[in-house]
Amino acid sequence: MAVYEYRGQRLDIPDNDSEYRGYFEAAGEHRLVVKKCRACGLLRGEPGPGCPWCPSLEWDWQEVSGKGTIYSYQIVAHTVIPAFRDMAPFAIVLVELDEQAGQPTADDGLRITANLVDGDLKPEKEENVAIGNRVEVIFDDEPDGISIPQFKLSGEPPKGETWQHSV
Amino acid sequence: METSLRGKYAIAGIGETEYSRGSGRTTRAMGAMAIRRAMDDAGLNSQDVDGMLSYHGGDSTPSTSIMYDLGLRPNFYMDCSGGGSSTEALIGLAMGAIEAGMCDTVAIFRSMNGYSSIRIGGTGARAASGISGLDLMKRPYGLISAVQNFAFNFTKHMSEYGVKSEDLAHIKVAHSNHASNNPKALMKQRVTVQDVMDSRWIIRPVAHLLDCCLETDNATCVIVTSAERAKDLRQKPVYVLGVQGRGTKPGGDFHVQHGNLGRVAGHYVGPRIFELAGVKHEDIDVTGCYDAFTYTVLLQFEAYGWCKPGEGKDYVTSGVINLGGKRPNNTSGGHLCEAYTHGMNMVIENVRQLRGTVDDYCPNAAAGEHNYDYSEGGCRQVKDAETSMNMGWGTPAVGSALIMRR
Repeated sequence: MAVYEYRGQRLDIPDNDSEYRGYFEAAGEHRLVVKKCRACGLLRGEPGPGCPWCPSLEWDWQEVSGKGTIYSYQIVAHTVIPAFRDMAPFAIVLVELDEQAGQPTADDGLRITANLVDGDLKPEKEENVAIGNRVEVIFDDEPDGISIPQFKLSGEPPKGETWQHSV
Repeated sequence: METSLRGKYAIAGIGETEYSRGSGRTTRAMGAMAIRRAMDDAGLNSQDVDGMLSYHGGDSTPSTSIMYDLGLRPNFYMDCSGGGSSTEALIGLAMGAIEAGMCDTVAIFRSMNGYSSIRIGGTGARAASGISGLDLMKRPYGLISAVQNFAFNFTKHMSEYGVKSEDLAHIKVAHSNHASNNPKALMKQRVTVQDVMDSRWIIRPVAHLLDCCLETDNATCVIVTSAERAKDLRQKPVYVLGVQGRGTKPGGDFHVQHGNLGRVAGHYVGPRIFELAGVKHEDIDVTGCYDAFTYTVLLQFEAYGWCKPGEGKDYVTSGVINLGGKRPNNTSGGHLCEAYTHGMNMVIENVRQLRGTVDDYCPNAAAGEHNYDYSEGGCRQVKDAETSMNMGWGTPAVGSALIMRR
């Protein structure tokens, strides 16, 4: 069992964890990976054991570019996690990765969750958080060897319209 | 679709403890009290109740303890894991157990010290544990509470349809007006749209503090039996026309990674429940739409076809959902204002509505005498309510529905 500390929380990743262990091991090498179905070839954001689109339970880890678009977001103004209180307000983003946007149906996509941070891994300013903004992966290295994938604005122009809330 | 059970089963009894924030009692003591009160309501004694069903999130007491406290000896019981949308689903399972001949009368209960012990919001015991499994992709990022788990869905919806916080606030206002006529409600004070907007933000842009439900200590119970048996009991039976749950949308727990974010499980549950019950939207007089947050109400109204996708903001601001409107919603105040019960209180309220004996401030409410004056501290009985619908919410991906008739 691997036990890590991240932002005041304990992460337990048992040796028999066939879903998430490889994800965090790859992150430790600064590679963002997802699972790829060995039968139909589709990628999935949730690294579960089976393919939601075909009967196959066979898969391989597949490295992806880490580039994508903010598909949805939430700004945490109030958090119940003590270690996060100094960070608030901070953004949690749902990122649609470039490799499989709009596939296999128009409503689907390869989406993963992370914080939107700046180049120093501090929370990105709220006014810069918008659906449609382009992002890229950045790794938050921890002293005990684990690394957590996060996202930052890539600086690329958005591919379509953007949307953000007004307060 | 098989519809032979339409009207064949009924809710014969309802019961609840006080809604509080600090019960000072165990979930066992509260569960026993809620069931006892439902048995008294129905006029049933210990030999008459031979089935038990409950749902929990590791925060309740098993049926096998509470059956002792009530002198029950069930021929059937199950304690199921589940939160919101379990109420309706378990009514269906109770009907199935009776239909299968396993028992005759089932007490369904939910008991939770949801404020003083294990809080759904993620604080307390639940936040102290280590993180493993699917939480590894959420809690390292600060994503822990229910309002957050559903937030991506509604931010996306807002971006597509232009819903504003003010629109959502109308839902809270309606439910608070209803709660002001409910002696049991935790939050009886009427609020305005501005009050909601002025309350502190929890998660932008989807929820201020007053858009969120009230974590509550409570237990609740409904008793299901055959229509035939219910006719011989103390209360006017409320018949189950149809029940459907827990239905899902594609993706299960990972629905945000696949599929349309603004389209919740009701999109799939809706067509089935109306066909099972044999009624149309226009036939429904009162709704109970699960209000964990104001936005869960709006998403479900759209999903179940009360309005088109994107028109939920018009539906909730039009007055339809207010007492005195065409189809009032959550007339007890719901989770936002009465109490958070994981859905039970909205079914209990609709049973009272269909009996005509809502416990408002009318002097002879228990006898079914109401003045239909919905001003503060007055009546909350819907006039001539014949048919009700409940829409239970588990997550954006999980929902249940129940249609009942007097």
